[in-house]
Amino acid sequence: MSVSCDRVTIRFRASVEAVSDVSLDVARGEFVAIVGPSGCGKSTLLNAIADLLDPAICEVTGRIEIDGAGRRERTRRDANLGYVFQRDALLPWQTLLENTQLGLAIRGIGKERRLARARELIAMAGLAGFEHYYPHQVSGGMRQRASLVRTLAYEPQTILMDEPFGALDAQNRMVLQAELLKIWQETPRTILFVTHDLAEAIVLAQRVIVMSRRPGRVKAVHAIDLPYPRDAFALRGSAEFARLETTIWQALRDEFRLATETNA
Amino acid sequence: MSRTWSLALRRTALIVAIFVLWEAVTGGFGLGIVLVSPAILARPSSALGELGPYAQSGLLWRDLSTTLTEAMVGLVLGIIGGAALGLGLAYLRGTSEVVEPVLVSLNSLPRIAVAPILLPLFGLGIASKIALSFFTVFFVVFFNTYLGIRSVDPELVKAVQVMGGSRAHLARFVVLPSVFSWIFAALRTSVSFALTGAVVGEFVGASAGLGYRLNIAAGLLDTKRVYLILLILMVFAVTLVEIAKRVEARLLRWRPSATLGT
Ligand SMILES: Nc1ncnc2c1ncn2[C@@H]1O[C@H](COP(=O)(O)OP(=O)(O)OP(=O)(O)O)[C@@H](O)[C@H]1O
Ligand SMILES: [Mg+2]
Repeated sequence: MSVSCDRVTIRFRASVEAVSDVSLDVARGEFVAIVGPSGCGKSTLLNAIADLLDPAICEVTGRIEIDGAGRRERTRRDANLGYVFQRDALLPWQTLLENTQLGLAIRGIGKERRLARARELIAMAGLAGFEHYYPHQVSGGMRQRASLVRTLAYEPQTILMDEPFGALDAQNRMVLQAELLKIWQETPRTILFVTHDLAEAIVLAQRVIVMSRRPGRVKAVHAIDLPYPRDAFALRGSAEFARLETTIWQALRDEFRLATETNA
Repeated sequence: MSRTWSLALRRTALIVAIFVLWEAVTGGFGLGIVLVSPAILARPSSALGELGPYAQSGLLWRDLSTTLTEAMVGLVLGIIGGAALGLGLAYLRGTSEVVEPVLVSLNSLPRIAVAPILLPLFGLGIASKIALSFFTVFFVVFFNTYLGIRSVDPELVKAVQVMGGSRAHLARFVVLPSVFSWIFAALRTSVSFALTGAVVGEFVGASAGLGYRLNIAAGLLDTKRVYLILLILMVFAVTLVEIAKRVEARLLRWRPSATLGT
């Protein structure tokens, strides 16, 4: 298993339970999506998997393994994780070209090789000509592409994505979904993809995990048996897509409804 | 383009107008209007006339270079000291909470009020002025560094950590660039503080420098000389701040605001 969570519960300051008793396994090379209402602990769960939670404010029980190793049995570099954040998290003081080399620089890869790799991926992502722009000088879609390139550049085995396209407009989002599909179909890597957009989850993933409202539990797991290679655009019009969307929405709808009721 | 030119033109026109008016009400242009006594407000043309003798005596150059040296050495030391302490305290958790009240109280002291005690400590030479300049700059930089570290974007920290970055990587890619941006954003303020420190230090006791010369001229009721030195100080300060602005815009060109505006 690339990622394995066994009865994971996460509490903030010992009182607020954010994630409750979550068990999930993601096989090597599998594309899994997590959907759930806002505040149900999706980001918290990803952060726990990436071992980024501050133990001073947050307690994690249960066991989380990356490639069979618990958090004390591996270094962050061994885990070889990639993480694409909702906000692109590019370094504002570096150009896109420098930003995309970050992981390679951390791994001590020589300048020549770093540059060649970054340029190649930048061209692939349609960012050629913008290498020397700073993040604030390009559009949100381009920043998110650069952020994706930065993650792909050091070839992590497992990639966590937290609503990576959430801040984009509908068109840009679809284009990037199609590109992500293409990349994954060419080189399968384990992807754990958090989104609040059910259609996005169905179009991309092999499996969709539905989480309940806070404290987040696994409410349902749906296999998406649509064959790859998928066409992100054509798929949305298909009967099979509509059927899946209706089925999963049944499970999700209650959580949204209850979430709004408890918030009110 | 034409907009910026017309703005530059209008700005210049305003400055010229101020000087013309000033000249006119202090007995200039043969109009015989003297609204303000020349003992209080010197005529600009006569103040500028002082420039010749001041320069020829060799004192102008000496005063300028003295004040510049004091301000610049104070500035550089203040930046280094402030950044070092700010970084040190931020990294030594626990210590910062202990030291903070002391620094805050020192900072709330009007900085130039310490000038008289610096004189016996560092003497009449440039050291006491450097010390005052340092003292004024130090706190600006220290607090900016400290704030800069506290406001480091946690997402960026996470991004570096998840890639397997060490503490050194974090410092190099995230913390230091973030801190530098705060320090450079304070560069303009620091430059004028450094100059203020140097000039006020010279008021209290010195043997050269623009502040010293100004103080002497004022004591001798040499209004023309006083206004001349004030004008020189103004040009001097504007030039330094302008340079600081350029340095800042160049170093912070990655920032949305750094490329905009004046
Ligand atoms: N630093 C924190 N301290 C205390 N509680 C927190 C903290 N971070 C998150 N929480 C709580 O944990 C819960 C889950 O938050 P999380 O950010 O994981 O939700 P999410 O599912 O990612 O939501 P969204 O879809 O809006 O991004 C929230 O209800 C929040 O109140
Ligand atoms: Mg979230």
